[in-house]
Amino acid sequence: MPALTGFLWLVGYYLIGEAVVRLSDLPVSSGVVGMLLLTATLILLRRVPAPVAAAAQPLIALLAMLIMPGVVGVFFIIDELQGQWPVILVALVLGTLASVASTLWLLKRLMDRS
Amino acid sequence: MNADGLLDTLAASPLFAVALTLAAFIVANALFVRLKRPAWLPAVLIAALMLAAALALIGLPYPRYREGAVWLTLLLGPATVALGMPLYQQLPHIRALWRELAVCLPIAASLAACYALGIAWLLGAPPDILASLAAKSVTAPIAIGITEQIGGSVALMLGALLVTGVATAAFTGPAAKLLKIEDERVIGFTLGLNGHAIGTVRAFEISPAAGAFASLGMSLTGIFTALLLPLAWHLVGGGP
Repeated sequence: MPALTGFLWLVGYYLIGEAVVRLSDLPVSSGVVGMLLLTATLILLRRVPAPVAAAAQPLIALLAMLIMPGVVGVFFIIDELQGQWPVILVALVLGTLASVASTLWLLKRLMDRS
Repeated sequence: MNADGLLDTLAASPLFAVALTLAAFIVANALFVRLKRPAWLPAVLIAALMLAAALALIGLPYPRYREGAVWLTLLLGPATVALGMPLYQQLPHIRALWRELAVCLPIAASLAACYALGIAWLLGAPPDILASLAAKSVTAPIAIGITEQIGGSVALMLGALLVTGVATAAFTGPAAKLLKIEDERVIGFTLGLNGHAIGTVRAFEISPAAGAFASLGMSLTGIFTALLLPLAWHLVGGGP
């Protein structure tokens, strides 16, 4: 039952996020607004209520599974990419390599200085 | 009823897509552990390959599978909200290092998108493909929202997410060694910032501290990109 109560919290915050996005026309997704509102609430409470933890923990652990139905779709759109996929692959792999090196170097330098 | 007819009847239920997804996820995780957790072959990649092969084998068209799997993907909304909990739990870390992170995050998160976009643009990729690659380092539930807003293809973006996550998990260890970096906080933050959930899973395999900094990097990159990318996209006129 606690997990169910926590799930209601999460769904409730998502719906509040949806309402905020609809009313304000912000270019942000409802989930992100809900997440920020939940964080703000927890800061005010100064703790994570047990039901929220009971629902949030397993859901976060399942994130990888929840995106799988979408990820699989990439194998079925390769035809629609009109031969662009080598460009995409090169950009992603080289871009990520450069970006990983930049982040490591930058954060290390910033932490050494202080 | 013959075997084909039976399969058709079963495949007509959305629960068939749900069962297929759960099975692929569970088997892939077991296989991943059996293979001694290789950095270049995360469980998500194994699961996606198995699922694609299963759909092709059964002859279930992807749009029909997707329709049934909505029963699972619907949970992405509340799962995004759930990320607020680890974010709250990491506030002490954020406070202790806030100066460094405040400087590093905007630069590193922007570079994560810009390098790949720059290379793709130089190689002549059309705008709709660029829009699908822009959120490549953002955790999936947030990235889906961003991509829909800037007019990219969600399917392509999720593929880009997979490639980026796998590349981050594979590159970060060797790159840190090359740059003589041993601080697990730096390695963890880099894994989460660049490799979203896949990088974060990798960081937890290194140590709990690396994992905490990876979730921090992942959440902050998600928020930063969600707030600024649609705006930036609009300003440079990348939108349709």
